[in-house]
Amino acid sequence: MVTREDVENIALLSKLFVPDEELDALTKDMQEIIDFADTINNAVESGDDFDNINNLSNVLREDEVVESLPSREILKNAPEQAEQHFLVRNRE
Amino acid sequence: MKYELVAGFETHIELATKTKIFCSCTTEFGGEPNTHCCPVCIGLPGTLPKLNRQVVNYAVKAGLATHCEIAEIAKMDRKNYCYPDLPKAYQISQYDMPLCLNGYVELSNGRKIRLERIHIEEDAGKLIHSHGDTYVDYNRGGVPLIEIVSKPDIRSVDEAKEYVEKLQQVMRYIGISDCKMQEGSMRCDVNISVREAGSEELGTRTEIKNMNSITNIAKAMEYEFERQCDVLESGEKVTQETLRYDDATNSTYPMRSKEDAHDYRYFRDPDLVTINVSREDVAEIKKSLPELPADKCRRYIDELEIPEKDAQLLTKYRNISEYFDEAIKGVKSPKTVSNFIIGQIFSRLETEADKEEFNIKTTPKQLNELVKLLDEGKIRNNLAKSTLEKMLDEGKNATDYISESDMGGLDENALNDLCKQAVEANPKAVEDYKNGKEKAIKAMVGFVMKNSRGRADAALAEQKIKDLIK
Repeated sequence: MVTREDVENIALLSKLFVPDEELDALTKDMQEIIDFADTINNAVESGDDFDNINNLSNVLREDEVVESLPSREILKNAPEQAEQHFLVRNRE
Repeated sequence: MKYELVAGFETHIELATKTKIFCSCTTEFGGEPNTHCCPVCIGLPGTLPKLNRQVVNYAVKAGLATHCEIAEIAKMDRKNYCYPDLPKAYQISQYDMPLCLNGYVELSNGRKIRLERIHIEEDAGKLIHSHGDTYVDYNRGGVPLIEIVSKPDIRSVDEAKEYVEKLQQVMRYIGISDCKMQEGSMRCDVNISVREAGSEELGTRTEIKNMNSITNIAKAMEYEFERQCDVLESGEKVTQETLRYDDATNSTYPMRSKEDAHDYRYFRDPDLVTINVSREDVAEIKKSLPELPADKCRRYIDELEIPEKDAQLLTKYRNISEYFDEAIKGVKSPKTVSNFIIGQIFSRLETEADKEEFNIKTTPKQLNELVKLLDEGKIRNNLAKSTLEKMLDEGKNATDYISESDMGGLDENALNDLCKQAVEANPKAVEDYKNGKEKAIKAMVGFVMKNSRGRADAALAEQKIKDLIK
């Protein structure tokens, strides 16, 4: 059973903001998603390689440098930054 | 009780590709913080990693050079752990289907240190801790690594040192990494345990993380071996834990258990497709490998009659052995070339780094010409030596210092004259020699050599002088 607290917790871990009034609806959605995923358990084993369902192999790139992004772009989403670094504050 | 050390290594080596493993950012060392980054290597949602072909090639090279089997099918997996050096909160690595399996590194005592596997993975970012806060630079994040995992086959600190040196040597030879431990492009984790000598069972091991010099590896292993022996002697048990070695106090201490929570929840990375390594590609890569140091060393000893110790010195760095290979072309005695390199040339190269670089003014072709003059009897050893010194100073050819007349050798009359002069000029030496001091003859031979500018045959001169004094 998915609870409101589970959804709150997942949102926190995912760094997503969820308004209180949406929590009940999201809890219901989450439960449905998990139920849907559970149907996979009932599927008959076919021997297919589920890990590689597209049957793709060797998608490779050449070793050629492409210009990186400027550091201000890279740091744009950083919760905190200092001296061109991502900053992780000591919470203790 | 007598204890035996048992150790295995996990060695991380940064590959010398131009770009990162899953994106086209440069792998260049250094650079302003967070300037070698893109959405892929900082792990933004919705980005798609794409594997660098060269990373697969280099890893296969590493595998072939260490006698591994190359997997036909390999895949990439996610190794989950949460730490700021890893922006996605997982590292893309290989779990149960690595590229290379079951190799070995052979030590000089003939023991083979078995390799369990070599896999490819991405490096993490760099963390700088300051006043309790952490500054993160992702330039290194996504730089390709290979991890070489050995079996616990190492039995002494000396074997450990040689194992690391051999890996370093072979990876540099095949050109896949510079393996600079001080810059972090080669790092070792050491698993270490002790057991009663002669026992087959493995003791409880500890792991010393992130060793960045061979000296520290040796010191840490010695310390940890003693510590574990003491624990067992006092009737207690060794605790399985992850340690750090502190250079300043020469001791190991446990890492916080938080960092050591080993539940990586490996699963296949669904963004990256299967890697098929065709046998044709493997054969192609095998062909591209240079002669490996161990094979070269054997060949120098067996075919060129170079003493083992010298052969090891010549093959330690690829630049030296390539220079030597070039310089011996068509010469009668490769040993002479070897002696010039190990003697006169090495004496000008003070550090190991100098030797590795082997940046000298004389080209292999120039040394080759000099040795051929010796071979043909046109010049004598002394003249060759002094000429080489000048060549090394100025980078010119041997023939710029040696004139045609020098090469003519010394005719019989000239030699007789010089020997006579030598006897006349050294009455004291003559006296000494007559009184049984054998060595006194050398002073007179020296006179002849000096005044003939090295052209005389020293052995012949000695005989002639002896005849004169009699």
